[in-house]
Order: sequence, then C-alpha cells, then structure tokens
Amino acid sequence: MTSSRTEAALVDVTMPQMGVSVAEGTVVAWRVEVGDRIGADQPICDISTDKIDTEVPAPVDGVVAEILVAIDETVTVGTVLARIAVGSGSAGEAAPTSAPVAPAATAAAATAPVTDAPESGATNGARNGAAGTAPVAGDLRRYSPVVQRIAAEHGIDLSQVQGTGRGGRVRKQDVLAFVEDGGAAGAAPAVEEPPLHIESPYRPDPVPAAAPAAAPAAAIQGGQLSRMRRQIGEHMKRSLETAATCTTWIEVDMSRVEAARKRLGVTGLAFVSRAVIDALREHPALNATMEGEQYEVHHDVNLGIAVSLGDDGLIVPVIHGAHELSVEGLAARVKDLARRARSRELKPDEVRGGTFTITNPGQYGSIMATPIINQPQVAILDFEAVIKRPVVVTDADGNDSIAIRPITILGLSWDHRALDGALSAQFLGTVKRHLEGAVGG
Amino acid sequence: MATLTYLQAISAALRDELRADERVLMMGEDIGVFGGAFKVTDGFIDEFGPDRVMDTPLAESGIIGTAIGAAVVGMRPVCEMQFADFISCGFDQLVNVAGKMHYRQGLAVPITVRLPSGGGFSGGPFHSQNPEAWFMHSPGIKVVAPSTAEDAKGLLHAAIRDPNPVCFMEHKHLYRRIKGEVPEGVFETPMKARVARSGDELVVIAYGAMVHTALEATEDIDGASIEVLDLRSLVPLDSDAILDSVARCSKVVIVDEANQMCAAGAQVAALIAEKGFEDLDGPVIRVATPDVPIPFSPPLEQAVLPSVERVKEACRDLLAY
Repeated sequence: MTSSRTEAALVDVTMPQMGVSVAEGTVVAWRVEVGDRIGADQPICDISTDKIDTEVPAPVDGVVAEILVAIDETVTVGTVLARIAVGSGSAGEAAPTSAPVAPAATAAAATAPVTDAPESGATNGARNGAAGTAPVAGDLRRYSPVVQRIAAEHGIDLSQVQGTGRGGRVRKQDVLAFVEDGGAAGAAPAVEEPPLHIESPYRPDPVPAAAPAAAPAAAIQGGQLSRMRRQIGEHMKRSLETAATCTTWIEVDMSRVEAARKRLGVTGLAFVSRAVIDALREHPALNATMEGEQYEVHHDVNLGIAVSLGDDGLIVPVIHGAHELSVEGLAARVKDLARRARSRELKPDEVRGGTFTITNPGQYGSIMATPIINQPQVAILDFEAVIKRPVVVTDADGNDSIAIRPITILGLSWDHRALDGALSAQFLGTVKRHLEGAVGG
Repeated sequence: MATLTYLQAISAALRDELRADERVLMMGEDIGVFGGAFKVTDGFIDEFGPDRVMDTPLAESGIIGTAIGAAVVGMRPVCEMQFADFISCGFDQLVNVAGKMHYRQGLAVPITVRLPSGGGFSGGPFHSQNPEAWFMHSPGIKVVAPSTAEDAKGLLHAAIRDPNPVCFMEHKHLYRRIKGEVPEGVFETPMKARVARSGDELVVIAYGAMVHTALEATEDIDGASIEVLDLRSLVPLDSDAILDSVARCSKVVIVDEANQMCAAGAQVAALIAEKGFEDLDGPVIRVATPDVPIPFSPPLEQAVLPSVERVKEACRDLLAY
C-alpha cells in the first residue's frame, strides 16, 4: 500500500505533558489551518489544562497536513493533535489543499496502475463514496450503509439515535427523523461542553441539556461566560453537590499578629497560614482529601491560597510543603504565587495537590463568609477583615474590662461527611490560640 | 385510444408493422391458417397472405435460421415460438448465429422472436417456463418483457424496428387478463424501466406478470410507501432507474417468476450490491420460483410460483428490518 509511505512523511503533534499530574488538556484555539506552512517551535495551537493556558509549539518545519482535535475537545496527554508533513517533497505539497484523509488517497491515485476500466471506477467512486463507512468507535451496534452515510453527512453520533427496526436496529427513517428533529444540531453542544475538572478527578455528571432560556432585561454587558468562569462555576457547584458543607466561625484577637506583622513587614495572611499549618499538625484529620468514599489524611501540608484575578476569576495556587516554611517564607511564597498567578505564569502542578485552602477576601471590609470547599479537600478557612472592636478582656487577676482590639472572624467550611462539628471547633480553637499567642516564626 | 387486452395489443402491433413495412413478415407454427395457438395472428393470413404470414414445420431451429437469413438480406422477420419453452430447439441459431452475426460479419440481424412464456395455468414443465435469463447471458441479443397492454404494443414496435435480434417475452397469463388503454398507430416504447407505482420506503423490482403480483401484494402493507419498478427491458437493463429507486427507498425486494438461480433478478441484485451499496438499509431480498421444473399439478404450481402472499410477506419482513 502506498499509505505507509505517506505516513512516514508525517510528524505527529501530541498533547504535551506539562506537569507530572497533568493527565489531559483541552484545545482552546488553533493558530493554523490545514495547508499552512509552519516552522519548528512556532505555536500551532493553544491548550488549556485546568486553569493553565499555554501554547503547543510545532516540533518540526513543515506543512500542516491534518488537524485531529476540535476546539474545546479534551484529550489525554499523548493524543495526536495534528500532523505535520515534513520536507519540501510532494507529500508536503500534496497535503495542504486536501481533507485529512486526502494525502493517502492522493498518493494512491497517483501510483495506482491504470488497469481499472475508467467508467466502472468512476461510477463506483461516485456512488460508493468512501465517507462514513467506518463504524462508530465504542458503539457495538451495526449500521446499514445508508444509515452510516446519512450519519456521516450530518455529523451524527449514531449511538444517540433510537432504533425502531428489528432488535432496536437503527433504520434509515430513524436517522432521517433524528436529522429532522435537529438531532444533528443538538448533538453538537454536547460535544462542545468538555468535561471539566480542576484539582478533583471527579467526573461531572452529564451536562444538563436545558440552558437558561430568557435573557435578563437590559444587560449592560453580556455574552458567553469565559472559560475560567465556567470552570469555577462547575467546580463550585460540584463541591456543593458533593460535600455536606457546614460552616463554623470563631472570633480571634489579632493584637499580637498585628504587632508582629508590622515588625516583620508581612501580611496577616502569612500568620494565619502559619497558625493554620500548626493547627493542621495538631488536627491532621482536616489536612485531608476525600474522593468518593476514600478519605485520606496527608502528612505534608500543601496549602492552597485563593488569589483573585480581578474580573477574570480566581485561582488557587498551592504552596507545596508549606509546613516547612516560616511566616516569612510563607509570605514570600504567597507573594510570588499571587504575582505569577496574575501574570498567568503558573505551571499546572502549582495549582494541584492542595490539602487545605485559605481564602482571604477581607481587604474590602467584609467580615464573614461561607466558603465553598475546594474539592477533594475536606475544609477551607475564610480569613476576612481585621476590625477594631470593643471587647471584654480579662487580666491575670480575673478582672474584666472593655478594650479596643483588632478582631477578625475566621470561618471554617468543613465536610460533614469527613468530620464532625466538635473537631472543626477544636481546630478553630487551635488556630485562634496560635494567632493570639504566637509572635512570628 | 382503444382499450385492448395484452393479446390484442400484440396483434395490433404486428398488424400495424405488416401494414407499414413490407419487409416485415411472420413465421411460426400454426400462425397462418389456424391463427396461432393463442389466436394472436387470427385473420392475418387473409389480410397479408401466406408469403408474409408463414406456417412453418415444427422446427424452431429452422424458423429462426430462416429468419436470420431473411434478415441478413434486408427483411424484418418476426418469429413466433408457440411456447417460449420450445426455443431450446432454436437455441444455437439464436445464440450462436443471430447473436454473434454483427460481431463476426458486421451484419445486422433485425429479427424479433416472440416468446409466449410463463406459467400459472397448469401448462406443465414444457409450457410454463421463463427462459429470458438464457438470452440475457448471451451477448448480442436484446430481451424485453412487457407487463401492460400499452407496453406490449410499444415494445413490440420497438423490437421489430430494432436492428438487433430481440427476444420479446410475452406472458401468456396476461394475454386476456390484462387490459388497458393503448394509443392508436405505431409508437415505440423505450427499452427502459417504468415506475409502476412510486414510493419511498421499499421498492419491489419486477417485470412481466410479476409486476401485477407486486402491485397487488403491496397495495396496502400497513400504509407503507412502496414503489414498484417495472423493468420492461432486461437487456439493456435500466441500471439508472434501478439505482434511483434504490437511492430513494433503500430497501429492495426483487421478484422473478423464473427459477431463482441466475435469473434476471440475480443480475439486478448484483448491480445493487455493487453500485447501490451506500444506499441500502437492509439486505436485498429475492422472491423467485425455486429451482425445480414447473409442476403440472395446479396446487403444486401455485406453491412454486411467487404469489401475492409471498411477496407481501417478504415486503413486510424487510420493512420491519
């Protein structure tokens, strides 16, 4: 066969491995079309793995011969995204103007001996076009030639078509009715919506078909949600659907933290982080992940810190091995991760593997929230604004008085499937004790 | 327009041709004085005389061989086989001489051989056959098989005026059972298929008497839209019309009154398998006479010939596929 010769001139472009834990990625844009000439290391497409967007460079000089993965399609690492015809020979020139399967066909036609009667060859070709005869992968039903042809013409996934023939066989009229009912158009959105998951290996339930119908009145600004917004939404919704979320609050006197942080020139968040890490060492049940019925307590504290990206959304970089860092070390890491998050420079592994998350939206003065657990973790701590309040203080002799103190309210959302209220209260108490007693380091 | 039986339409075509063209002559057993076994040529000898309506010995080889000689020198003979079954005696002349004359000598052989064929009336194994496929298999011979009175006349005109040897399969069982409006005068029906009833869920392909069986069988099968394609001509075979019907209907039943093996329907099925594959939504189903001689016994004959019930059953089964 001549096809092997043609394939030998094609170089695969695959979904790259961008971090040890990255298993798949989504193509978000193609920079080239079939037939475009491309140089080695020029970007061929944009891909997205979780929250990280990056480019895939062309491995060689050549001409784009095939594009195999559609925009918004999610594929595993190593999947062939495109093929590049290399060299300046005829294979490279033949490829550009043709459809994906064309190079082989062109080569075959060019080298085929002229023994076929021209008339019968032409008639067969016209009547029995090659399109659509391949069975649908993963679908064990068999389809007649006409059903496959109609399905191919309309881009129909035949596994979606209800058969009314003998033994549920899909008949011609079934696939025609499917086309008429807009099945072909209806099938497309299902493909467009890729399965999303961020840190969690949970797979979302099938995407509900109905979209919200009516548009709100007088929108100032509108349009399709950004990819990140959709991912955040998906992730948050799944967390609420998955976990038995409860929230517990505790008031903390931040007097000593305030004094210490001014001395060290770091943020309160670094102290809260250190206190949380210490509390997690005492109550490791909260430094855990839960996937399905699998509950796992982790030794290392990989601390996620939610970073706002302004209007774009939110990202949670993870400080791996946070338990080994001092307050200053934590402060430096938080600063670095936040800067790189905002300039979209995070690597996929830097948003994965968290065991506990802190969210810190208090800069605008809000004092309480009910955070949503970052799945598959079992708890998240919300650190809001520190506000001076009159509080009752008791001195060493047991005398009460009213004092002005910087107070914050820490909120802990926890998964009642993994733990109970007493433990979460103890954990908060421990955090409070560390914050009210500790003076840095 | 006149309403004629199938038989009257054949007679009318012959009479018109004898009147229109003095090169036309007829040869056959008992076609003159007796007027033919089925009275197709009744009264012809009085109008055209024994030189143009010739009674011959019981020798099909002689009839066809003589006709070939006459055709080669410019006549347009029409031979009647008393029964189509008897053509086997004239086989060599028709297949080897007439069919290959143009290829070997470049000479046209414009003969028409009328073959009263088919069963259904207890004619037994020597008087009921459908031998059309023998001649389909022999290059150089055309084969036509009308199912209606109009087509019987129009195709016979076309056959007589064709420069090639043509086997004209006239179905005995239709002679007096089928009537229809037939235009006056000479007209030639093209040797192409005709849609006897249009539909789009299934097509029954047939010719000759089986067209009527197919129409009756598919009149109402649970309201399904069933097409009936009347081939009319077997050589040339109207592959465009066949493939058009297949593209529209995607399910095909082919009916032959002939014995199943290598019958005309087998060629149609092969054509569809080769060139209509992409349009098929089910297996191509054939209904034909089993490969046995046609029995004389009336119930046995009815058991072997494709019946309305058998065709209906095949259609119902394929529709449900």
